[in-house]
Amino acid sequence: MQAKTFALVMTALVLFFVINRIRHQKMSFKYALVWLLLSFFTILFSIKDAWLQAISKWAGFALPSNFVFFLLLIFVIFFSLLLTLYINEQNSRTEALAQAIAKLDYRLKKLEKEDEKKI
Amino acid sequence: MNPKILIIIPAFNEAGAIARLLEEIQTAFPQADRVVINDGSHDLTEENALKTKTFVATLPFNLGIGGAVQTGFQIAHDENYDVAIQVDGDGQHDPVYIRDLVKPILEGKLDLCVGSRFLGNLPGYQSTLARRTGIRFFCRLLELLTGLYLTDPTSGFRATSKKLIKVFADFYPVDFPEPEAIKIAKRHGAKIGEIPVQMRERQGGRSSIRHLATLYYMAKVTFAIFIDLLKKKS
Repeated sequence: MQAKTFALVMTALVLFFVINRIRHQKMSFKYALVWLLLSFFTILFSIKDAWLQAISKWAGFALPSNFVFFLLLIFVIFFSLLLTLYINEQNSRTEALAQAIAKLDYRLKKLEKEDEKKI
Repeated sequence: MNPKILIIIPAFNEAGAIARLLEEIQTAFPQADRVVINDGSHDLTEENALKTKTFVATLPFNLGIGGAVQTGFQIAHDENYDVAIQVDGDGQHDPVYIRDLVKPILEGKLDLCVGSRFLGNLPGYQSTLARRTGIRFFCRLLELLTGLYLTDPTSGFRATSKKLIKVFADFYPVDFPEPEAIKIAKRHGAKIGEIPVQMRERQGGRSSIRHLATLYYMAKVTFAIFIDLLKKKS
């Protein structure tokens, strides 16, 4: 019973934080979705722990807690992989933007110089 | 019609050496246009370069040599240059050799001409023992994978033809890009060769490759060259 309460309280905190961020437009739905889903399933299995036990038994885990740890580990690994991809994408974009600025800088200086010659 | 030649000079915090270098380039090879790619320097690199009537493209923050050189190739591509020459902003590359470097490109013999400090028996700066060992490693690796033996694949003193300008404008490797760029050029069917040059000890700034980082770069470049093997030939 205490474990159940603890899980529910933690999830409530995460949910509160995420929804608050969305409300202040600091987090978009796209990135909040994974946290919302995680919270939903945590709440669901805290309340209906018989379901969790049934699924973990079906999946071949001796203890439901092992099953939960396993799921969390998978979640963390895949989520960090996704974030790495995302950071890389942002990195290339920032680099392309920096290069675009440098090229504009070059063109501007060149045009200014051509203007000076005309005057 | 005379070919349009652009000299790309990547520079990061080279305020001390840049003006002299640009004047040397102007004396040695006046027919080319020059652009300094100021790679987010914190010093007076840009101001000192502008004093010598050279164009400067300033990056808002430091991208590293790969990103800076690529910016140069993008400018060369946008402005329809026929030949691009890379000369490091630290003064290590003696502009006297630009003429030799560009000759095989203009004659259509090569698409990528690398200035090698180990070819011929010219005196001059040949780097430290550790670094020479690393360089030899890349010589062998590139020979093994491409059948092409270059004596100085890490040299950033090079000239490239129009064909490669487009390739490098689209994609140029980051972090210690020189050996990987050779592999990429080879994949695009470029004719690659070397000419002997004399290098000097850097006159300002400091090398982007130091200490433990050397090991990281060795691993990174080796990995990148192998990854390039997996890419489609074009």
